[in-house]
Amino acid sequence: MIVHDVFLPAPLLVVSSGIMVMLGATAWRRSVGRSFLCAMGILLLAIMVVGHHAGTVPDHGDSLFVQDRWTAYTAILTMFSTICIMLMSWRDDGIMRADEYALLLMLGTLGALAMVFSANYMPFFVGLEILGVSIMGLVTFGHRAVPGHEAAMKYLILSGVSSAILLFGIGLAYGVTGSLRFMPPIAAGGVSAALPPAATIMILVGMFFKLSAVPFHMWLPDVMEGAPVPVAAFVAVVSKIAIFSPLVRYFGTENQPPFLNDILCGVIILTIMGGNLMALRQADFIRLMAYSSIAHMGYLLIAFMCPGRLQSGAITVYLAAYTASTLGVFAVMDAFATPGGPDGRVIAQWKGVFSSHPFVGAVMSFMLLSLAGIPPGIGFFAKFGIAAVGVAHQRDLLLCFLIIGSIIGLYYYLNIVRTMMVTPSLPSRPLNRHVRPELMALVIVLGMIVVIGGLFPARAIHPLLPAATVPSETRDGITH
Amino acid sequence: MNPLPALVLLPIMGGGVAWVAGHVRPRVTTTSRDASWWVVLVTLIVETFVLVMATFGHPVHTGPWPGHFSMPWIPAMGIAVRLDMDGLSLSLIWLSLIMCFLCVFLATRQVTVHAGAFRFLFLATLTGIIGTFLATDLFLFFFFWELMLVPMFGLIAAWGHEDRQRAAMKFFMFTQGSGLIMLLSILGLVITHYRQTGVLTFDYFTLAHTPLSPAVSMLLMLGFFIAFAVKLPVVPVHVWLPDAHTQAPTAASVLLAGILLKTGGYGMIRFNIMLFPDAASRFAPIAMGLGVAGIVYGAWLAYAQDDVKRLIAYSSISHMGFVLLGIFTGSRMGMQGAIIQMLAHGLSTAGLFVVAGAIQDRLHTRDMRCIGGLWAAMPRLSGAGLFFAMAALGMPGLGNFTGEFLVLLATWHVSPLPAILAAVGLVLAAIYALRMVNRIFLAAPRTGLQPVPDVASRQMAVFACVMVFLVLLGVYPQPFVTFSAPLPLPVAAMTGPEGATP
Repeated sequence: MIVHDVFLPAPLLVVSSGIMVMLGATAWRRSVGRSFLCAMGILLLAIMVVGHHAGTVPDHGDSLFVQDRWTAYTAILTMFSTICIMLMSWRDDGIMRADEYALLLMLGTLGALAMVFSANYMPFFVGLEILGVSIMGLVTFGHRAVPGHEAAMKYLILSGVSSAILLFGIGLAYGVTGSLRFMPPIAAGGVSAALPPAATIMILVGMFFKLSAVPFHMWLPDVMEGAPVPVAAFVAVVSKIAIFSPLVRYFGTENQPPFLNDILCGVIILTIMGGNLMALRQADFIRLMAYSSIAHMGYLLIAFMCPGRLQSGAITVYLAAYTASTLGVFAVMDAFATPGGPDGRVIAQWKGVFSSHPFVGAVMSFMLLSLAGIPPGIGFFAKFGIAAVGVAHQRDLLLCFLIIGSIIGLYYYLNIVRTMMVTPSLPSRPLNRHVRPELMALVIVLGMIVVIGGLFPARAIHPLLPAATVPSETRDGITH
Repeated sequence: MNPLPALVLLPIMGGGVAWVAGHVRPRVTTTSRDASWWVVLVTLIVETFVLVMATFGHPVHTGPWPGHFSMPWIPAMGIAVRLDMDGLSLSLIWLSLIMCFLCVFLATRQVTVHAGAFRFLFLATLTGIIGTFLATDLFLFFFFWELMLVPMFGLIAAWGHEDRQRAAMKFFMFTQGSGLIMLLSILGLVITHYRQTGVLTFDYFTLAHTPLSPAVSMLLMLGFFIAFAVKLPVVPVHVWLPDAHTQAPTAASVLLAGILLKTGGYGMIRFNIMLFPDAASRFAPIAMGLGVAGIVYGAWLAYAQDDVKRLIAYSSISHMGFVLLGIFTGSRMGMQGAIIQMLAHGLSTAGLFVVAGAIQDRLHTRDMRCIGGLWAAMPRLSGAGLFFAMAALGMPGLGNFTGEFLVLLATWHVSPLPAILAAVGLVLAAIYALRMVNRIFLAAPRTGLQPVPDVASRQMAVFACVMVFLVLLGVYPQPFVTFSAPLPLPVAAMTGPEGATP
């Protein structure tokens, strides 16, 4: 590839050069506050230039990166989530003690952005690995060294296995088509007909690993449990968006190849039922959120499987709803934690929150209800959209499981709300003196997003409506 | 100004103000210590004025029904804020307001812990209920249908009695789960309409003219029926009701029994019968069977209860069986009987729950084995209790009798056997109601009961208003029957679905 051919979306450029600046600043003089501010500035700048790019758009479609509405949307979601997570971890004594934390978070975001913008196996795989390695580093931050290290090791090994499977699939795909273009391989003359499906399935398995769909989900609860709260939020939100975005681009928004239909159906059913059933018995809040996030990925995959007029709206709203509500839950959890006191990780600690911290209790129940799909949260409209695409495609079996899963989900979300309403037998603890105004502001902003998105979802879906149709056009552009 | 959006939004806005007022309470002087209560009262009074305006005003006919409001909401999916009002919704909203006044005067002052939040949730439930009665966009209807559950869950789970949390969870899970099945039915109808006409809309009047094959219409009708059957409740899916009614605080019990159950009946009339008339008539034998089963089973279990509120809850199941029976007789008379029964049951059961709540506040028990001889101690309350018990057992001259009689008559024309069985339910109703009156009010006073104050005469005035309505319904029901009849859809079909009426 020649230099004048280079096509580079601006956010990638901004974030990677920003990381260089941060590295230089760290080498000059270490300061947690400065690297935090630096990272925030870089992310804001990157969000502003999300639609721009450096170099020329290659007309033959053979570039490393692609840029359209879908990438803009998911990149903004990714960077917005990272900003929220930065705010959550700022002034958190446990994790912000070293400026490597902000650096690792930025590196993870860079990896996620590379995956979001990729139109080629190379940047996709490199981004995946950058994201994976930085998550491994992030997980070990925090007070509790031993579970953190254990979780990081678990993540390292399992993520290595999944990357190996993915890489093998990519190798097979390259062998079949002789190209690294990011699309399912199509059999050319002279290759065995079994190779393209095998390659596709291996790539899918690798993606499902990262997405934590059910037979490949074992790592997620352990990793999130061992990680500090903001890192758990990063794993639950950013890494999921970063893998879902290329998944949609890879398979496009048309009907999936027939051999994938049954596999996808099975995985979705297992994911919904597995995630919800295992969430039922959790006493640890973060583990519960991990399993609930698994279940949400299952719902999202239903929309992925049902192409059509309603699909793009359903997917975009669902991603936004999941991001805002999940980040909201983690932000409230972070705001609830007191140094030396309860850290909000155990559900039983939330007993009586409604009487001791009414605001925290109200926002938390609001976020949980949004996740459960109850109005007026945005999650209601999101679930409605999923059900609509399912009905439009007559996926009766999946819809049954959507309902069963939602009812089970309702139970464990409500159970937390119920716990918060219990009148505590002990006198309530003195109010949290360790107030962090930026955290409260974040909680309020996320709450506003959830309410306004729930009441006026038209504004949320309208400008993004062509988002998911663009990838399919691009894909067409690449194929011919 | 169009009164319909104001009707929906006023309660929740007033509730917000009441919440804030409840918060500032400690700082102001003791004279205005019930600031949030006054806010609630003012909200309800303004709401009544708006409702009077909606009832007696002469709105411009822009929709198929007298009241109409429309505003785009999510145009990409054909969803709009469409509110329409006919006699049925209007009379049920009137019922809701009467219930709310009853609660405000007799049941919300007892709440002292977080009173502002309680009143906010109370009025938010009212918003959901009124929205449900008015919405003619299926998405909006579902939105309100779900919306009213959340505040009610809060009311039961935070201010209820001893086993409140389990009851609240059960209530929410049953109603929300069945609501999801209705969501699928709504979407099924919308998508079928979209396939046939290419128009994606959630408009009730447009969707009513979707040509459906018998199998599809039966399937969609069943989806709606399950959700409404859980709310009504119909016997196999009634298990949430006794717990929720028993554990809820008095005001929430009144709301639950008085209006929340009526949303189920309203939905059956508005959606099952009017959207899918053919499927509904084919399903009628089963529905009537379920109705009769509910009448007899509810009455039988009511007889076996020792807990006053549980007894009233089971009697509700029995009375709602009449509503189900009447709706599915397929005749105009049965429908009218069901509507009158809904109104009368709302009034009488709400009265009974207030009486039971008053007894519990004074004696701190609901167990009828520990209560007795209240007639001498509390003559006014006992009188009210006796009156509402008589209404519940279907005494001629009171509203419930009119409703039950019309339903029985209509059922007899269709098939005599259910009518006979339902009449057996009436006998059982007399037994359990009289037994309750005997045990609570007339039996010998229990030893060890503290002397308790009777209800104030001002509060008796509120009871008297409810009694007047019940007597009116019983003695001269014709205006109510005419007023509350649902406007038929076929008329709308002839004049065109989208406001073709001049």
